[in-house]
Amino acid sequence: MIICSNCQHQNVSGAVFCAECGAQLDGVETLTTHNITDEEIADGLSERAPRPEPPSSPTNSWISLHLMDSGKILPLATRNEFTLGRLSEGQPIMPDIDLTPYQAYASGVSRLHAVVKRDSGRIFVMDLGSSNGTYLNGRRLNPHIEEDLKHGDVVALGKLKIQVLLRNI
Amino acid sequence: MPFQGQDYYSLLGVKRNASQEEIKRAYFEAAQKLHPDKNKAAGETELFLEAQQAYEMLSNPKRRAQYDATLPPEDKVYYPYTHRVVYSRPVVLRLEERQMLYVILEVETPMEARQAPSPPLNVCIVIDRSTSMRGEKMDVVKATAIQVLRNLRPQDILSVVTFSDRAEVIIPAAFHQERTKLEARIQMIQPSGGTEMFQGLDMGTTEVMRSIDSKRVNHIILLTDGHTYGDEQECLGLASKLADRGIGVSAMGIGKEWNDVFLDILANRTGGSSAYIAEPQDIKRLLLEKFNALAQTYAEDVILETQPLDGVELAYAFRLQPDPTPIIVDESTLRLGPVLQDTSTRILFEYIIQPKAVQSDISVFLDGTLKVSIASLPLPVPPMPMRLQRIVAPDTAEIESPPAEVVQALSRLMLYRMQEKARKDIEKGDINNATRQLQSLAANLLTQGERSLARTIMLEVENLQNKNTLSDEGSKKIKYGTRALFVAPPKKEIVS
Repeated sequence: MIICSNCQHQNVSGAVFCAECGAQLDGVETLTTHNITDEEIADGLSERAPRPEPPSSPTNSWISLHLMDSGKILPLATRNEFTLGRLSEGQPIMPDIDLTPYQAYASGVSRLHAVVKRDSGRIFVMDLGSSNGTYLNGRRLNPHIEEDLKHGDVVALGKLKIQVLLRNI
Repeated sequence: MPFQGQDYYSLLGVKRNASQEEIKRAYFEAAQKLHPDKNKAAGETELFLEAQQAYEMLSNPKRRAQYDATLPPEDKVYYPYTHRVVYSRPVVLRLEERQMLYVILEVETPMEARQAPSPPLNVCIVIDRSTSMRGEKMDVVKATAIQVLRNLRPQDILSVVTFSDRAEVIIPAAFHQERTKLEARIQMIQPSGGTEMFQGLDMGTTEVMRSIDSKRVNHIILLTDGHTYGDEQECLGLASKLADRGIGVSAMGIGKEWNDVFLDILANRTGGSSAYIAEPQDIKRLLLEKFNALAQTYAEDVILETQPLDGVELAYAFRLQPDPTPIIVDESTLRLGPVLQDTSTRILFEYIIQPKAVQSDISVFLDGTLKVSIASLPLPVPPMPMRLQRIVAPDTAEIESPPAEVVQALSRLMLYRMQEKARKDIEKGDINNATRQLQSLAANLLTQGERSLARTIMLEVENLQNKNTLSDEGSKKIKYGTRALFVAPPKKEIVS
């Protein structure tokens, strides 16, 4: 028996994807929600730092999100794509990165707001049709259109400002 | 002597352990097909004589035994196709609980036959001309039928049948020379009346049977936009008969009012598939694609005959390509569909293995025969004994993750099956479960970059909450949309 780490459904031994929620059970890469623990959150960079050095964190993250209001940094790894948003009660679609702890609701972050992804050496941000829009260095993005991200770019989800820290790639 | 290293058994298309009765039947079939009175093609008289020799040899048990002793082992038999099997796990485990094993079977046209001329067609288009077809739908159907007629090769046979409350032959099955006259007949089709599908299928069958020939691709294409009432069982019965005669059925549903569940079963019984045509302007593209695929046929039929094994259940089977579709598993004969010259046929099987089937050192979960019909070959292809088995390892054994090919296929199949499950839940009245399934499906589609399909699903979730059912259109979009994912290039690597 394999218990799905995403929904706790009990799957028959040998199953590859969860029969209930569709998450990958067994294999190299999981498609379940990336849980960020406090240990993973490295602190220490000043929130006013205009162009901080790429983090040399021990994790092999390709992108870190610097939440400019709280100064927290979320290093992201293991997948090539993360959706950003906030969790809410009874909501079907869960973002990979839940921004609720960072005043997401008050800042106007949609439940599924934007996605950051990496593809053949390039890194993109894309608005997922959010209510309050996604801004890249102050310019509002058209929904569902990918935009290149550079190290140090500031992405705003509604009013929530996030500085993008890229690993040297 | 038999050609191409074939032996007398493969010449007659029977297994080495065939009974006298089977040998006799196979000989009669071959003799009918190859009899010089009927067959004037070069070389076929020789084949007829060889079939006679084969029968004389094998029908006498004493001579048969002598002949058997001279044969190479059965695994040296030449099969005019290549096949490949991939398992999700290298072993099965000796567990106290049931376990699952996935297998992909691929059957492919051999290199040397990919450029060869494909077999001639014997196709009937059966067109629904009920009142609802009036307007753009019928106009496009007519224009496309005319184009099909113009595209025919001289060796192809086409017939056209229409049906409403009754059926009518518009173009009888024949080689067609005077095409202008026939085009005018197609132009004159007038929509009116109801949808009695059996009438149409039955008459389509009559037309195809006129020139039925195992050296042709025999096929019926059904185009409809509505439900048939009361004759579903007759239609399905006819489909089984068609399958036995080697006639395939493709069903194309136009718009949102037709019964996709019924047409799926109808087509699947013959190894064919159903397609969803959302807009009238797509009729042309899809019908021409279907004809192209038929003209690309290498093997018209791949059939897997299985025997039940204790403690092993084939829980699910799905054709990954071409034309992704579920395969009916509740019979011992599985119709896996055709093999095209340039596209292999890939089937995914899901086996559930009970503890009692992993007691010995080797667990067998398929013991059967693969039968492939290839129209371009003069003689039947020898049936291939097929056995799927894995070594049983202790339950503590480390198991590596499944091959990328299996994971990739399952990542798509998982999406398709979520909507299947949601549909079943709705039938049972379990709206909450169905809602949850559809929501998970939408979330999974979003992470795979399939935004528009995810949006359709979220709209249907609203429908479900308000009306306790899916819309006709939405349920088809979801079903055929998740099927289309199998042929779409992946938007995101699943396994790095």
